[in-house]
Amino acid sequence: MMDRYTLLQKIGIYFGIAVFLTFILLPFFEMFMTSLKPLNHILRAPYQFWSDDFSFDAYTRMWERVPLLGRYIWNSIFIATTVTIIAMIVIVPAAYAYARLDFPFKTQSLGLFLSVNMFAGAVLLIPLYKLMRTLGLLNTYWAMIIPGVAFLIPTGIWLLRGYLEKIPKEMEEAAYMDGASRLYTLRRVILPLAGPGLVVVATTVFITAYAQQYLFAVTFNSNGNLHPLPVGLLQFIGYQNVEWNMMMAAALTGITPVLLVFLFLQRYLVAGLTAGAVKE
Amino acid sequence: MATLDLTSITKDFGAHKVLSGIDLAIRDREFVVFVGPSGCGKSTLLRIIAGLEAATSGRILIDGQDVSDAAPVDRGISMVFQSYALYPHLSIFENIAFPLRVARLPEAEVKAKVARAAEILQLTEKLSLKPGQLSGGQRQRVAIGRSIVRNPKVFLFDEPLSNLDAALRGEMRVELSALQRDLDATMVYVTHDQVEAMTMAHRIVVLNKGRIEQFGTPMELYHHPATRFVATFIGQPNMNLIPATVTGTGAEGVTVAFHGGAQMTLPVDPGTTRAGDRVEVGLRPENLTLGQGLAMRLRVLERLGGTAIAYGMMGDGLKLCAALPGDTAVHEGEEVGLTFAPADAHVFDAQGRVLRRRQAPALAA
Repeated sequence: MMDRYTLLQKIGIYFGIAVFLTFILLPFFEMFMTSLKPLNHILRAPYQFWSDDFSFDAYTRMWERVPLLGRYIWNSIFIATTVTIIAMIVIVPAAYAYARLDFPFKTQSLGLFLSVNMFAGAVLLIPLYKLMRTLGLLNTYWAMIIPGVAFLIPTGIWLLRGYLEKIPKEMEEAAYMDGASRLYTLRRVILPLAGPGLVVVATTVFITAYAQQYLFAVTFNSNGNLHPLPVGLLQFIGYQNVEWNMMMAAALTGITPVLLVFLFLQRYLVAGLTAGAVKE
Repeated sequence: MATLDLTSITKDFGAHKVLSGIDLAIRDREFVVFVGPSGCGKSTLLRIIAGLEAATSGRILIDGQDVSDAAPVDRGISMVFQSYALYPHLSIFENIAFPLRVARLPEAEVKAKVARAAEILQLTEKLSLKPGQLSGGQRQRVAIGRSIVRNPKVFLFDEPLSNLDAALRGEMRVELSALQRDLDATMVYVTHDQVEAMTMAHRIVVLNKGRIEQFGTPMELYHHPATRFVATFIGQPNMNLIPATVTGTGAEGVTVAFHGGAQMTLPVDPGTTRAGDRVEVGLRPENLTLGQGLAMRLRVLERLGGTAIAYGMMGDGLKLCAALPGDTAVHEGEEVGLTFAPADAHVFDAQGRVLRRRQAPALAA
């Protein structure tokens, strides 16, 4: 068995994990603590971790302070979901083609796709802006969705291709022998087997789409009704003071639905991986 | 149900010739086994027949119809893969029904056909399970089930038993032979295992370096191997090859001298062989008996019960193997004498071609 560790090794491993998790989770914890404190406690010097006046006040008042907050959260989820759906529609056949078919300039074209990812989105903002303006898409959802999809396709193809290549070729050959077309085989054999891979890729695409909205929204959209949550959060920055507690409360509220979905997906992911282990 | 004819099939991968000039006529309801060492082109040839790969040149005829450019399903061919290629997410029923679903058959017909296939293969109780819940032998049967529901004209098998353990392999060999009889089907079977070839085939194609070395019944190949390659490939343990020099040819056959100096006249057609030519005398281990003749230092003795396989070395370092009766009183390290009947000897010329044996069992009709 693989888990034959001595007590000392186990302590070492758990210590490492603890340090790692602290780095990742402490900001979330601090966000949560901040959201519970009254504003004057947050700005207190010296910094005080524990407050004597915790309340969920910010969670109710934030809706009054930024009336469109619900709308922003919905926009964020809507944009990320649409990006994921459109991206997956493009990624799946493309990844399959790169995994299985032979065509001229296969490796070169994939390299070219990936090299696009070497540019940070910010470098391309001005040309993209001109493009969006020419197409008349500024200040629409599309202005945030289309660049989001474009930036995610290369990594998506790359990731999914790896999963598809692991599916034994003989399965497809067997289907081909039985008269199945490529698309039929893709639908009935390949995609069900690639389930876990699809979830992983879709998850990555969704998270990245969720995270990259800010830049595109700030640049391509000035319609207040269409802003995603990251831009909406800016409204907690007032002329005189920043409502940190409400901002943190809003941010946490915004990611909660997404978090719940992924908790559910994670369980599916584990089940999917073991189901795929059936074949040798 | 169908004949299968191949005419001058070749296959190149770039400059590398995998198959060159394969001509083959397989009869209706025949069980033909392609056998050969790895890299001999047997799997490529099968894949060309299947339509999974295109031949560089040559034609494929099924029942006299040219199918060289037809899709696999239009050739009336089905194939069982080495890894079974079952779909782990589908039930056994859906796995077997897959070709019928592709053909969009009505549900009632699908059910009837799958039920019949499952009955033949004793899978009726397993239909609702997933492939992961079956044993290796059962999975193999599902793969066969998927290939028989379509009623193909020709069945192809690509090393179907190589993933099974030895006991199960023996069992499946018997089942496959019985299945071939029951289905009255033409079958082409690829293996690297000469035991599978000998036990199941009506006729065997021995392939070597992309060419057909010999095509014949198992006993033809055993008694009348056309080449040195076939002689050493067929038969277990392998045939012994002893270098010798021809000292004379005559009406009784070819007289050879072994390196030890012993002379012997072997009843084979001399052909173009002349005195002074170097030849190899092929002796099957099972044709060797204790007696005056070849002296061998016995190194290892494997007692299998019924027989005892003796491995040893002759004076000049040549390895020799003999299959002796199980209770033979010999011991490892001992010097033993081995002899054989001249009629049992095979003689191969310098090019590895056989000199025809005169007194060997007649060819099966």
